[in-house]
Amino acid sequence: MSTALSSTTVPVRRRFKLGPGARGIKLLIPVLLLLAVFFLVPVLALLLRSIMEPVPGLQNYVELLGSQTYVRVFFNTFMVAGVVTLITLLVGFPTAWLLAIMPKRWSQVMFAILLLSMWTNLLARTYAWMVLLQQTGLVNRVLMAIGVIDEPLTLVNNLIGVTIGMTYIMLPFLVLPLHATLRAIDPSTLRAAAICGASRWQALRLVLLPLALPGIASGALMVFVMSLGYYVTPALLGGTGYMMLAELIAQLVQSLLNWGLAGAAAFVLLVVTLGLYAVQLRYLGGGRSGMGDR
Amino acid sequence: MNATKQIRSHIVLAAGIGMLAAMPAMAENLVFTSWGGSTQQAQQKFWAAPFTAANGINVAMDGPTDYGKFKAMVESGNVTWDVVDVEGDFAYKAAKEGLLEPLDLSKLKGVDPRFLSPNAVGSFYYSFVLGYNKQAVKGAAPAVWSDLFDMKKYPGKRTLYKWSAPGVLEIALLADGVAANKLYPLDLDRAFKKLDTIKSQIVWWSGGAQSQQLLASGEASIGMFWNGRISALQKGGAPVGMSWNQNLTAADMLVIPKGSKNKAAAMKFLAYATSPEAQAKFATDTGYAPINPQAKSKMTPAVVKTLPDQHVAGQINLDMKYWADNRDAIAKRWYAWQTQ
Repeated sequence: MSTALSSTTVPVRRRFKLGPGARGIKLLIPVLLLLAVFFLVPVLALLLRSIMEPVPGLQNYVELLGSQTYVRVFFNTFMVAGVVTLITLLVGFPTAWLLAIMPKRWSQVMFAILLLSMWTNLLARTYAWMVLLQQTGLVNRVLMAIGVIDEPLTLVNNLIGVTIGMTYIMLPFLVLPLHATLRAIDPSTLRAAAICGASRWQALRLVLLPLALPGIASGALMVFVMSLGYYVTPALLGGTGYMMLAELIAQLVQSLLNWGLAGAAAFVLLVVTLGLYAVQLRYLGGGRSGMGDR
Repeated sequence: MNATKQIRSHIVLAAGIGMLAAMPAMAENLVFTSWGGSTQQAQQKFWAAPFTAANGINVAMDGPTDYGKFKAMVESGNVTWDVVDVEGDFAYKAAKEGLLEPLDLSKLKGVDPRFLSPNAVGSFYYSFVLGYNKQAVKGAAPAVWSDLFDMKKYPGKRTLYKWSAPGVLEIALLADGVAANKLYPLDLDRAFKKLDTIKSQIVWWSGGAQSQQLLASGEASIGMFWNGRISALQKGGAPVGMSWNQNLTAADMLVIPKGSKNKAAAMKFLAYATSPEAQAKFATDTGYAPINPQAKSKMTPAVVKTLPDQHVAGQINLDMKYWADNRDAIAKRWYAWQTQ
């Protein structure tokens, strides 16, 4: 079975790479131009500022990487993004699976609920969490009323608040691509696993998860990268102990007018993120053919 | 009367068509940028609308004020803002960096000299006051900044302004016993040491609405607030109180960005906005104090009593010049301390 799978996937991949050829690239030109003008040029301008302001040189990078504060903020940023990605995965995978297997009428309702949350203003949603999670908020009151806790829990202005708020916002970005992947999986593969004697856990671990890996990887990467640059939610639900880079950059740009340092910070974040993307492409991008060998 | 109105509306229409046709800007338009919310609504209602009625100059609203955008406009030469409401220390800093047009001071009559400089004139002035939730504090109401640091007498979370800006450090030093006239230059080591004593109990607010939410809900029992925000809560019936002892004052300033295309109209607007009538109406609505002392004769005594400038006993002026010169260095220490 494994050889059959890989022998069919390989030609497909090759055709995809060579088939559309030059004509496909021509069609891409407007998009590439748009990206160049509105993305690449500003990024280069930013890079230029980071090495030209206030005087030419690398002093902004020296300051950024030499200061404990900034290094700590970098660490926080990646740590929070990592935690959010993990929790989003733990919540998002069962959700996507449920959406994929439930009757269409119900899954449409679930989708509507999921998407509706995306159409509501981000600030309003974040404030809603603040009201729900604070010490005098609904969550604490209910927990105290039913006797689970005696003292209100601190659920906002710390890592817990940021994680809850951001996981909620990121969920659709994981569920949508993952749902597409899961839908494409033939349910009979799971039946086959059961017939071959696999337990439910084995079927999940050895069949479903490997097949879903591309969807998991792309969804998780999207969540992770979006979390890295998030501003509103950490600013409102997080304490300063976990200040994230976007907050610091906003301060440097809007308030302190230190664009050189802000540019350097943004650029370092961009480089690290692209590096992670490259790693993901290298090790997980090939997940589809890798799984055939199992 | 009707005829002039009609003519005026024709002028407005013509100006609109002119802008649509992307002709060079007509002289009789300007863009006013402020912080949004109830403050800017009051500025529109009591400054812009009567100004347009009297001079036929249209005032378009934009916002919120963003110093990054401000600087980018001036640097690129594409200045679309004509009058901007900024914080005091930014006004000094921007003047030093050459981002502002000089003002025609002869047109700004009666303004308190504290709020007048070659490049900026006061917009309104406010105080940081001690605010508390009446249901959350027991016994005598907190009155001075040292109460904010007294965890035994007033337990619960405290809420302070999140960003590196005039206010929090001064409060810490005052609470630690530094005399009001010995505040500057700020003793940063001492201030941070004092803040360390309550650090785990601080919930930071990053905007006015958030500060109101934290106090009104009881999430924080005590904290520092813009006086207008507490007044608004009280008007809404929330169980909150404030103490004017050691209130810290600062003014917002109005400036014209360098390269403004409607400088003459902008100058006329500044003259109107700082006039006694406009200042009186704005102050009555917002609870912030007028920067033109003559405005008080045009307000009811009851309203005058609620303004920050009635609490001069123990009032402390935040030193914006000091902050403009030291903001970068303080910010470094601030964020290092906050993220620890």
